[in-house]
Amino acid sequence: MKTAEAYEHEQGWDFEKAAMPYVDSLYNTAYRMTRNSEDAEDLVQETYLKAYKYYDKFEEGTNFKAWLFKIMKNTFINNYRKKKLTPHKIDFSEIEESYERVIQKNAPDLIRDPESEIFQDMMDADVKRALDSLPHDYKMVVLLADIEGFSYKEIAEILDCPVGTVMSRLYRGRKMLERTLLDYARKYGYIRGEAEPAKMRSRKDEVKGRKKKDEKGEETDVQEPEESEEEVLFAEAEDEEFEFEVEEQEEERFEVE
Amino acid sequence: MLCDDYKRVVYFFLDGSVSQRRAVELETHRRDCHDCDERTLVHRKLRDFVKKRLAPISAPEHLKVRLVQSLRIAE
Ligand SMILES: [Zn+2]
Repeated sequence: MKTAEAYEHEQGWDFEKAAMPYVDSLYNTAYRMTRNSEDAEDLVQETYLKAYKYYDKFEEGTNFKAWLFKIMKNTFINNYRKKKLTPHKIDFSEIEESYERVIQKNAPDLIRDPESEIFQDMMDADVKRALDSLPHDYKMVVLLADIEGFSYKEIAEILDCPVGTVMSRLYRGRKMLERTLLDYARKYGYIRGEAEPAKMRSRKDEVKGRKKKDEKGEETDVQEPEESEEEVLFAEAEDEEFEFEVEEQEEERFEVE
Repeated sequence: MLCDDYKRVVYFFLDGSVSQRRAVELETHRRDCHDCDERTLVHRKLRDFVKKRLAPISAPEHLKVRLVQSLRIAE
């Protein structure tokens, strides 16, 4: 704990030196998650102040970057709950089916040269929109893995969930993202048919009892624990084989990193 | 190995996150299966595309200044 003034000062300096190199990474993820620079700045600042406050709780020798991201993710979740955004319920089998239809028709064209031919005219804004269309849990995993380059194990640490859940969200998040991009490509006429928009029903439609509460905007509804929402989502669709696959990988690989 | 098995782990395969033994099985299947080979390429191209288009955004300088200031006050 902080006692002597000198020690305190040294700790502050240490923290600054250790934490500031990650500010761009944190900001980038914060910006993608909050979707505006003001909220992103606030989120990063809150993260740094919390991290500083709890710096003595950080275990030396563990992953500091992942620790900062974990604090940021918790802060984001808290703010997200306050803002009462409604989580979505996804019919993933429907997404898979339409993905398969598009892939079967278009794979050869897509491979030939998606960047300079098919996707050439797609706007950065479209890619951003596709990312933003993901429910935030999936979006977070995709960002952490594909943009920030964290390993599955690090993501599991950041999100406080099993590695299997990370893989499951990554699988779905990426597939949803790809599917949305393919859907835009179809709308622009670059590829052929049948990628109807995925139905993303909100939780409100599913649970009628909650609907009225939502409309009134009562605090109780917001308290719904996010983790259990997630568990429900995966319990529904995760088949045994997939779980087996995940377990097998968990055992065999995660020492490699 | 069936195509369904391949599809289920293709992302993890691309990440280099499957065991050595599994990777060999997957690679063998991919070599013999045109569809799965194509699918793998599509996934990879789309991911590269997304990564390229979502170029990292750096934190604004005024934020960095503000952070350092607020940390020094917090001390
Ligand atoms: Zn196959």
